[in-house]
Amino acid sequence: MFSWIATPLTYGFMQRGMLAAVLVGVLCAIVGCYVVLRSMAFLGDALAHAVLPGVAIAYLIGGNLTVGALVAAVVVAVVISVFSRQGTVKEDTAIGIVFAAALALGVALISSVRAYAVDLTHILFGNVLGVGPADLWLIVGIGAIVLATMLVLYRQLLVIAFDPVLAATQRLPVERLRMLLLILIALTIVVSLQTVGVGLVAAMLVTPGAAAYLLTRRLPAMMAVAALIGAVSGIAGLYLSYYANIASGSAVVLVATVLFTIVFLVAPRRGLIWRHLNRPTRTV
Amino acid sequence: MHTDTQHQLPAHLEVDHLVVAYERRRALDDISFRVAYGDRVVLVGPNGAGKSTLFKALVGLVKPQSGTIRIHGMPLGVHTDCVAYVPQREDVDWRFPVTVADVVMMGRFGRLGWFGRPGRADRAAVEHGMELMGVAHLARQSIGDLSGGQQQRVFLARALAQEPHILLLDEPFTGVDLATQETTLSLLDALHDQKVTIILSTHDLGLAAARFERVLLINRRLIGDGTPAEVLTHEHLSDAFGGQVLTLPDGAVLVDQCACHEQDEILPKVER
Repeated sequence: MFSWIATPLTYGFMQRGMLAAVLVGVLCAIVGCYVVLRSMAFLGDALAHAVLPGVAIAYLIGGNLTVGALVAAVVVAVVISVFSRQGTVKEDTAIGIVFAAALALGVALISSVRAYAVDLTHILFGNVLGVGPADLWLIVGIGAIVLATMLVLYRQLLVIAFDPVLAATQRLPVERLRMLLLILIALTIVVSLQTVGVGLVAAMLVTPGAAAYLLTRRLPAMMAVAALIGAVSGIAGLYLSYYANIASGSAVVLVATVLFTIVFLVAPRRGLIWRHLNRPTRTV
Repeated sequence: MHTDTQHQLPAHLEVDHLVVAYERRRALDDISFRVAYGDRVVLVGPNGAGKSTLFKALVGLVKPQSGTIRIHGMPLGVHTDCVAYVPQREDVDWRFPVTVADVVMMGRFGRLGWFGRPGRADRAAVEHGMELMGVAHLARQSIGDLSGGQQQRVFLARALAQEPHILLLDEPFTGVDLATQETTLSLLDALHDQKVTIILSTHDLGLAAARFERVLLINRRLIGDGTPAEVLTHEHLSDAFGGQVLTLPDGAVLVDQCACHEQDEILPKVER
């Protein structure tokens, strides 16, 4: 009766893929709460695309692709923050410049190597079914570092996100904490690439958090609900991918989007339908 | 306090020849004043006079080009928790998912250090702050669901939870209801009795004259410092507000702050 659930899991690559999708879904969702609250969706997307030249260079010099991606993401996070801190260029402009430049450089580098075309699609759109045991350990390791940092510095990150003025009066190093948050987002993006790819990782950062925001009124609850939505999207997305025979990254993102749409419509108090039913009645 | 008299206590706050500039424009030019222990001062001036900038300099949010600020005789940064600052309400993201109690607890974070956990004293201070400001019943509400006046009170409760020696309030009466204004004023009276030093900015000259013993009038530079009668003169007001001052035939002075959405303020003629 439940064989349709069990059958795909008889394959080793599906088990690993399922695990990777859940881990990435949870990690992206929790980190993504800050992306949603600080309106950094565009920045997340830019960071994701910016890892492309890093991966390409690592490939050309025969290095580790993940290390290449990590270095590129951190470099771009620092460059964007320096550009916008001077106040001469607005942040979204700075992001737009760096993001397009990095993407162009990445594609240029990759196009110089012919045989790389297949790997490029994997980087752009992910290939969760190709996740090996080493990749899983990488996700677990970096994910644990990111989540532990967020837990230990929960109060500091909360204050700089909600009220940077209070943070500054309490003598918190606001700029450094902001940079740290960017680096945590960059790390999350890098370990998510194998699962959902450069093109779709921004959705995994933003969509579960946006849905959770509509359902909760405190940050810890928002993170928990986002993590649940991220995990469910990962699992349901992989089944969808298996049975409908569609690309796994797209399937995961599409499930997350459907969940967001449902929440957007029916969420109590903030959902579209609730607000429609409770709109102020006009006096005749 | 074990000192003989209060007059021998060092000034809580000393500002000497303070200059703050954004780009090339001077926002504050050579401002000097002293505020003694437990004093209550109102800061007035037209829009763009640098009232908010002065507060931001006092809490270390903007760096002065020159001049010094001393608190308890020490430079800024030595005391991290004795100055509480209530910014203008527009400076805060009200859609953030935090409850009233969460926001008030943030006032304790400065005392907790990097890795401390809130203890009984912290929770008690949060509870006390919320009760004084009449928002204890809203503790579990989202801040986004509150009215403007309630939001203002939550921020005052947070400032109280900080248990500051010096409280800086930037335009606390703008856009709030009369009840909140009265609650705020009676809170200020209570804090005054507890010898908390208070500096408050407002564009409501009538309120400044009626409720404060000392007025600082600024427009980038310090124009007047003294009692309302000494400072809010036609001469000083013309100096600060320029063409926005109109003297009516009966001697009343009308100040038109056109950039501001509040109505014009009329204040009675003061002794010259």
